[in-house]
Amino acid sequence: MNGTHVLLTLGKELRETLRDRRTLMVMVLFPVVVYPMLSLVMTQVMTEREKTQEARPSQVAVMGAGPVVEEIRRRLSADSKTFVLVPVAVPADVETGHVDAIVDGPTADVPARLSVLYDASRDESRRAEQRLSKLLGEMLPEGCTPRFTVEGKDLASGAKLGGYVLSKALPALIILMVLLGAFYPAIDVTAGERERGTLETLLAAPVRRFDLLLGKVLAVTTLAVLTGLLNLLSMSITVLHALHLAAPEAVLPVPWTRVIATSLVVFPSGFLFAATFVAIGSMARGFKEAQNLLMPVYVLTLVPTLAAAVGDLDLRGMVALVPGMNVTLLAREIILGRATIGQVLAVLGSTLVIGAVAVGFATRFYQSEHFIEVRARPRRLLRGPFYRASDSPRTGAPTAGEAMALYGVGFALLYFAFIPLQKRDLVTGLMLSQWGGLLGLAVLFARVTRRRLADVFGLSWPTGGAVVGAVLVGLSGGIVLTVLTEWVMPPPRQAMEELRRALLPQDGSRTLAEAILAFAITPALCEEAFFRGPILRGLRGRLGATGAIVVTGALFGLFHIDVWRIVPTGLLGVLLSFLAWRTGSLVPAIIAHGVNNALVLVLTAKGADQSIEVMGRRPQAAVLAGGCAVLALGLLLITRGPRPQGEV
Amino acid sequence: MSDLGITAHGLTKTFGGVCAVDGLSLSVAPGEIYGLLGPNGAGKTTALRMFAGLLRPTEGRIRVAGVDVAAAPNAAKARIGFLTGSTGLYARLSPRETLMFFGRLHGLPRARVAERIAELSRLLEIEPYLDRRAEGLSTGEKQRVSLARALMPDPPILILDEPTNGLDVVASRFLRALIRAEAARGKAIIFSTHYLAEAELMCDRVGLLFQGRLLREGVPRALRDEVGAPSLEEAFLLLVADEEARLVAADAASSGTATPP
Repeated sequence: MNGTHVLLTLGKELRETLRDRRTLMVMVLFPVVVYPMLSLVMTQVMTEREKTQEARPSQVAVMGAGPVVEEIRRRLSADSKTFVLVPVAVPADVETGHVDAIVDGPTADVPARLSVLYDASRDESRRAEQRLSKLLGEMLPEGCTPRFTVEGKDLASGAKLGGYVLSKALPALIILMVLLGAFYPAIDVTAGERERGTLETLLAAPVRRFDLLLGKVLAVTTLAVLTGLLNLLSMSITVLHALHLAAPEAVLPVPWTRVIATSLVVFPSGFLFAATFVAIGSMARGFKEAQNLLMPVYVLTLVPTLAAAVGDLDLRGMVALVPGMNVTLLAREIILGRATIGQVLAVLGSTLVIGAVAVGFATRFYQSEHFIEVRARPRRLLRGPFYRASDSPRTGAPTAGEAMALYGVGFALLYFAFIPLQKRDLVTGLMLSQWGGLLGLAVLFARVTRRRLADVFGLSWPTGGAVVGAVLVGLSGGIVLTVLTEWVMPPPRQAMEELRRALLPQDGSRTLAEAILAFAITPALCEEAFFRGPILRGLRGRLGATGAIVVTGALFGLFHIDVWRIVPTGLLGVLLSFLAWRTGSLVPAIIAHGVNNALVLVLTAKGADQSIEVMGRRPQAAVLAGGCAVLALGLLLITRGPRPQGEV
Repeated sequence: MSDLGITAHGLTKTFGGVCAVDGLSLSVAPGEIYGLLGPNGAGKTTALRMFAGLLRPTEGRIRVAGVDVAAAPNAAKARIGFLTGSTGLYARLSPRETLMFFGRLHGLPRARVAERIAELSRLLEIEPYLDRRAEGLSTGEKQRVSLARALMPDPPILILDEPTNGLDVVASRFLRALIRAEAARGKAIIFSTHYLAEAELMCDRVGLLFQGRLLREGVPRALRDEVGAPSLEEAFLLLVADEEARLVAADAASSGTATPP
């Protein structure tokens, strides 16, 4: 890394983006102008309303008879500024708004009753009730002396209350503003540079691509952080100001030290979003394309952020690793003064690691080869008059766009059709989902796009060494991942237990052979054909081998729609994608997948499925070491084969 | 041939099965201007991008100013001034800021960059708009600034891809004079164009690129005489027509059809 180059790029990008109106609008206009203005308008409207309501006397009526009722009537008439006494009214008049409230006093039948009828959905009626209650509370029967006094006391300290109110609204809003602050600058420094024709010149300079990218990411980080901080400040003041207006008697002092401490989360989230957005922007050829690519990512980040704001999640375990969610929760903990050093370190660490990985990917994507338009020019000048391109089937692997569209369709089918089916009947639903929703869908895709099956799936025979390697990977991969998962983020044991019992019921209604056919062989064939076929091969064209392997793994993990299994199945997916890519064949991935699933089923049948989880740290370490050794041997056998075509 | 210029051996580049440059070998000596000519899509831009270290050749080696481009891309880039006809400028930066940025990226100290900016803005007559935002400049003005950017580190090698594209007569003439002056100072210059008259005016040698392969190479006058054409343009058209006829014949032969006599 060359620090000067990074700083030069950072300076140039900041200077350029800060002269862009769009960036300035998002960064400065919102916090400095829009919020205070909103607050001002709100203030005026509310004060006006308050004043008119305060000035308007409440229309009340008193029902009943007797000395108490007479006394109430007398007092109401005396205070003509506050009350207008309506002679006769029925409860329906409160609902229609003719009267604001009615005092239902004692009658001959029920001498000891006094109630106030009001309509809580109307401000005027609620105010009348408050005024009446106060007046009635002051009335004591003649000759009585009060034995005690009642006064309200709020036990929450002012700072705690202010912090609580802020903790609900502020974190998510800040994270959203950091996201928004990173959005346009990230596009500007990547796709914008490419579109304006300055990228070629920049790449021709004697600078490492990583330094350029890091400079760009830091520039976007700076802008996102500035946006976040300005918003944090402006919003804190605005929110509290508005709250103060709504409830003037409640004192809500701002816990300023905590608000300042909250700014801590703005930095890592700014870096994370900047790195992610720059990585994605780097793949785009122009501004439009970058926007189209970034929008889904933006929305995807919004979901965990909002979930963290709305839900009642604890900042523990896996949650501390989910981007967007973890920073939002950390901000809440800090404002409430409950954050621990461990939480801060976990969130900062995971955020920085993910950000660094994104910068690495960006460096890979930021290739000059992208701006070469490849014209599909035949090698020879003329092919004769009867040559028509459309006559021949399309050759080559699917494109990245097709791969993502295919995944989208597969996911929608799974979520809206097959999961409900599986809930009704597990085996039938699973069979339909696997053979129809995955394998069938992929074959249909090949037919619709007029590609040969061999091009879509990568059908070829692996070497004998690769087959043995695949078996070893299948035997060890799952075990290694189980131990690691158990150490890093143990899933709830009961959920895992239920899952395995569903696959292999203890009542013996499904034999082991049936279970292996349904839950090992079927998914091995269908899931591998879908993920390691068109998805992996499609993404490779755009992301390169490493990117495609990682993203395919992640998509595979997400497809299992289970929070606890996303990471382990994702990692297993990465392993299987590597097998398929390295051997240029689906077969090793199918074998490894099948062996892995079958192993779990066999262990479950033997009642040994929980043995790893309960054996304790030291035996687990031994199992991990053994598993890693077998895994390494398997991978060694795989990588000894011939390199995939077209790779250097 | 001196190792201080540009040398390329067996340069090939394929994009997903499409061959853009096919076994190109050439060399340019210091002080020499080499014109790479050819119709659109002949592979000129791809070849020059490989020389500039922007694209990695599928096969072949390039050395510029004694440095192997594939082995030490940044050392090579430090010795190259690269300019294309479609080069953009940072719209929201002034020419001075752009020049400062690239000068510093090339490792020149701030004071030295300031000196070079003063020299180059006099030479290229860009002083009047040195501090205006680039978005308001005309095409000619922008191209002068881009040339100043390419010349900033005073590199021994210039790679110019259709640098006069889109310029008017006056601006092109100015640019040509400047390029000749830089060659006279000992720079090895390779540049591409599809204005053949321009190539005839200023190149010491030209190479004719067609479908990724170097069809002919030599001094413009000698090429003209060889084909017996009055201008380089005529010679160029004749050579390309010959090659096309040869390719069609070869194509027909390879697909098994009898070639008509």
